[in-house]
Amino acid sequence: MSRRVCVIGIGHTDFNSITPDVEWKELMYESCQKAYVDAGVDPRKDIDSFITCAEDYLEGFSIFDEFVPDQIGAVLRPCCTVCGDGLYGLGTAYMQIKTGLMDVVSVESHSKISDLLTLGDILLHAFDPVFERPVTGPVERPRYGGSPEYTKEDPKPLVGSTKEKQRVHPYFLAGMEMQDYLRTSGTTEEECAEVVVKNKMNAFFNPLADYEAKISIDNVMGSEYLFSPLKRLDISPNVDGAITFVLAEEKTAKELGVDPIYLSGFGWSSETPWLSTRGMSADYATKSSQMAYKMAGITNPRKQLDIVEVDDRFSYKELQHLEAIGLARPGEAGQMLMEGELAKDGAIPTNMSGGSLGIGNCFEATGMQKALEIITQLRGHAAKRQVADAEVGLAQAWRGIPSGSGAVAVFERGGA
Amino acid sequence: MTFLEKQTDPTTPMHWNGDMQADYFYSNGVAGDKFFKHLMKKDTFLASECPKCGVIFIPPRLYCEDCFCDIPDENWMEVKSQGIIRANTTAMIDAHGDPLEEPVIMALIDIDETDGAMLGRVKTEILDMDLCGLTVKAVLRPKNEREGTMKDILYYEPY
Ligand SMILES: [Zn+2]
Repeated sequence: MSRRVCVIGIGHTDFNSITPDVEWKELMYESCQKAYVDAGVDPRKDIDSFITCAEDYLEGFSIFDEFVPDQIGAVLRPCCTVCGDGLYGLGTAYMQIKTGLMDVVSVESHSKISDLLTLGDILLHAFDPVFERPVTGPVERPRYGGSPEYTKEDPKPLVGSTKEKQRVHPYFLAGMEMQDYLRTSGTTEEECAEVVVKNKMNAFFNPLADYEAKISIDNVMGSEYLFSPLKRLDISPNVDGAITFVLAEEKTAKELGVDPIYLSGFGWSSETPWLSTRGMSADYATKSSQMAYKMAGITNPRKQLDIVEVDDRFSYKELQHLEAIGLARPGEAGQMLMEGELAKDGAIPTNMSGGSLGIGNCFEATGMQKALEIITQLRGHAAKRQVADAEVGLAQAWRGIPSGSGAVAVFERGGA
Repeated sequence: MTFLEKQTDPTTPMHWNGDMQADYFYSNGVAGDKFFKHLMKKDTFLASECPKCGVIFIPPRLYCEDCFCDIPDENWMEVKSQGIIRANTTAMIDAHGDPLEEPVIMALIDIDETDGAMLGRVKTEILDMDLCGLTVKAVLRPKNEREGTMKDILYYEPY
């Protein structure tokens, strides 16, 4: 008989714009401890394998996986780090359990992005170094944000011959992609603004959200163009926080007496990194959703999915992703939004958590935040934002600028 | 927070200010060297065509990402350093979030006679936010100042 994989425990910290009182390890410890208590497991005895998801440059030190075991209960145990979004960690756990190698696996991802003083430079480091990065500005940064040795008045000396003093912020790429999306789909800037309005409103009903706000389309439209047509309020602000899941094989879950939520489908896909040959229509989302739908036996996603969380780190991304994963026809997502179809009582409740626009951009924990909301909803624990009779839900992740990679996970309530 | 003790005085949390030295020497590679060494002498670009599917790559590559096959030397070609804007944006802030001294128009430019595109800066008097479809040509450094990097392409301008 085929082994079924389910989520048996979830834990998360509060999400805050800054967390100067705690270390990143303490954030991880807290979310792990909460998830282990929720699942009723002792990590030193009951968990067979530990997975974290992180990117060295965002963390601020090299070889991140070496810094992991102590704060998650994994010292001298099978432990590895996936360099990617948290959903990739869920997929890795799924495979470890499915093969029969492991019975109980924990997955952790987090953001301590407020520790990073030069995020723009780090993301520019993810552009092709020979053909693309030099176009954004000087090879060396003209000043060194965090170092006391270099100030704006007395900057670090430049390397390489260039007269430019400033580097363009890497989110310019989202501005270009948004322009392409609006033109090819017929979506308007106002419809994208409504995504911000909706998600920041949804965030009022999610206690972990940090960026809830009552704003109007006019507020978003009135915020300044940073990368036209992308405006300041179209961009999700950064947030710190950690999320941990415990996954287990069905039999173990039943022995522990927890109400399991099944991970019934998973898919992932990577676009070419070359801007020159890459599409601008989130093909990574289309491909990964097709793989996940097939595994989960979903033939009509619009009908079969009760709730979805899609990446909305830039407002247009929510609409683009809904179209890419087959929940809206090309160019229709904006209209569906305006007609209320993406609201709690609509046909496809989307980002009820508040999404990245309402909670904050938690970087490699973003996909886990999406999955956390789906698990909470399928458990029926979402209080005022609870979607009635939610039995099947989808979490979609994108790795952010400048990547073209993403993953999709489908979850089902036990007995569904 | 699962700890019994927490910091409650906001004036006391301390930190260590870290500094990461990370400097690199990026090889252009075989395809990159060919492209940039050509650009030091000529005002045109080099592109490479997949022998199987016929896709013409710029920036040029030694292999096709679709067919996963080699692109041989005889499949390289010279193309004009001009094209049509596929997508553009006007960037207002720098990597630290501070205003740029002057807004920068970043664009992805579909290069004529190829299936590829180059990322570039555009200088124009046109004030429209949307420059898609505009034909632009590369403005290059004077030949005696070229160094064999992307900096040899100063910007693109309408023609
Ligand atoms: Zn080919």
